[in-house]
Amino acid sequence: MPVKKNTLRLNMLAMFIAIILLQTSIPLIGYIPIGPLEITIIPMTVVVATVLLGTVDGAIIGGVWGFTTFVRAFVWPTSPLAAIVFVNPIISVIPRIMIGVVAGMTYTYLKKHLKSQTASISVAAVFGSLTNTILVLGLIYLFYKAKAPQLYQINIKELLPYLLGVVGTNGVPEAIFSGIVTPLIAIPVKKIFDRTSR
Amino acid sequence: MSNFLFGRYLPGKSWVHQMSPQSKLMLSFYFVIVIFFANNVWTYASLSVLILIVVVMSGVSIGYFLKGIRPLIWLIIFTVLLQILFSSGGHVYWHFGPFSVSDTSLINGGYIFVRFLLIIMISTVLTLTTTPLAIADGVQTVLKPLKKVHFPVDTLALMLSIALRFVPTLMDEMETILNAQRSRGVDFGSGSLKHRIQAAVPLLVPLFTGAINHAENLSTAMEARGFTDSEHRSKYRVYRWQRKDTISWVAFLLVGVLVLFIRNN
Repeated sequence: MPVKKNTLRLNMLAMFIAIILLQTSIPLIGYIPIGPLEITIIPMTVVVATVLLGTVDGAIIGGVWGFTTFVRAFVWPTSPLAAIVFVNPIISVIPRIMIGVVAGMTYTYLKKHLKSQTASISVAAVFGSLTNTILVLGLIYLFYKAKAPQLYQINIKELLPYLLGVVGTNGVPEAIFSGIVTPLIAIPVKKIFDRTSR
Repeated sequence: MSNFLFGRYLPGKSWVHQMSPQSKLMLSFYFVIVIFFANNVWTYASLSVLILIVVVMSGVSIGYFLKGIRPLIWLIIFTVLLQILFSSGGHVYWHFGPFSVSDTSLINGGYIFVRFLLIIMISTVLTLTTTPLAIADGVQTVLKPLKKVHFPVDTLALMLSIALRFVPTLMDEMETILNAQRSRGVDFGSGSLKHRIQAAVPLLVPLFTGAINHAENLSTAMEARGFTDSEHRSKYRVYRWQRKDTISWVAFLLVGVLVLFIRNN
């Protein structure tokens, strides 16, 4: 049986990578525009992967998303912000890995202590989404407070309030959105997943 | 569809098409690094000449490159403007609040513009002349040294090829789901936050469920064909290092050395 488990895990990871790649390239299922803001639903995919496959695999999926962001910052940036900030692999990759880690740990902890699965997934999703926002913000602050970025010799100190504003206003609705939608998606999908992987 | 990886491959028999994917991948990577060493007119000029030669060698008409740059043009202009308005130093021509325009900032803005174009060009050459699966193979070869530290390179490469193989499939399914929901009267383009949340759920649940079913079926199929692990897997296409790769590497390395010599220190 272990071989079967491995093959299934490999394919599940591959499918989630495919979904992430799809979401980064098609706006409708990757980003939801609300007024001037754009809410990313990719963290939600990472949390769903974490709930289904476990913390380690969730972190892998998060890492794949981070790596895609990193590469795209050079060749196909989604915004001027991305072109400036995400060329630093620490800012683009690590927060995304941490989504999986934090959401996974929260979920495993809450699963034991809470009766409601909806509640534990919801809290894990909010934490995962906030981890992303806070880490990206914090790392931008750490890296660009002191010295100008290597790629663009912009005086970043004057840009900083603007950068923080953009990410902050996106981050809060993103977390709320994740908290509401993730359980709605993860629970029916988990039922199917448990049936196939038994 | 504006896409940076999929559906851009153009079949061909040019020099660049025939190079092995691993050296194309490494050369693109190397080229991007060299770009960051460029800091004066001559360095940017020599890199531009190199990329023009590569474009000609790829046998792809220049129109495809312009088409690739067009959706990004506003973003590039915006970034260049940011660069011009926010950088400091040099002789100031105009200044208002935090904004200022000086001769250094204008020159730097121009450099950033060229830099953007160069990076987009090299990555476009790569994706126009290499299939996604060949890129996955290239990644596997490039990462091979990591096997020494027990990094599961082969598993990663196999996962990547399966993922790339299924992206178009999932995209088709997505299209079907979208149309099915539209025929039920769901409007995806507008509405309040609550409305949009309600619209997202019936899209994502079938997409995820479909992906899980694919994973299940594929693992059954793989095991029926005797798949045990990804390390001892043989390949349908084997890419060998050719003389074309060596010549390209020599050319790129020479330009790299040239850039190091003529850059301002």
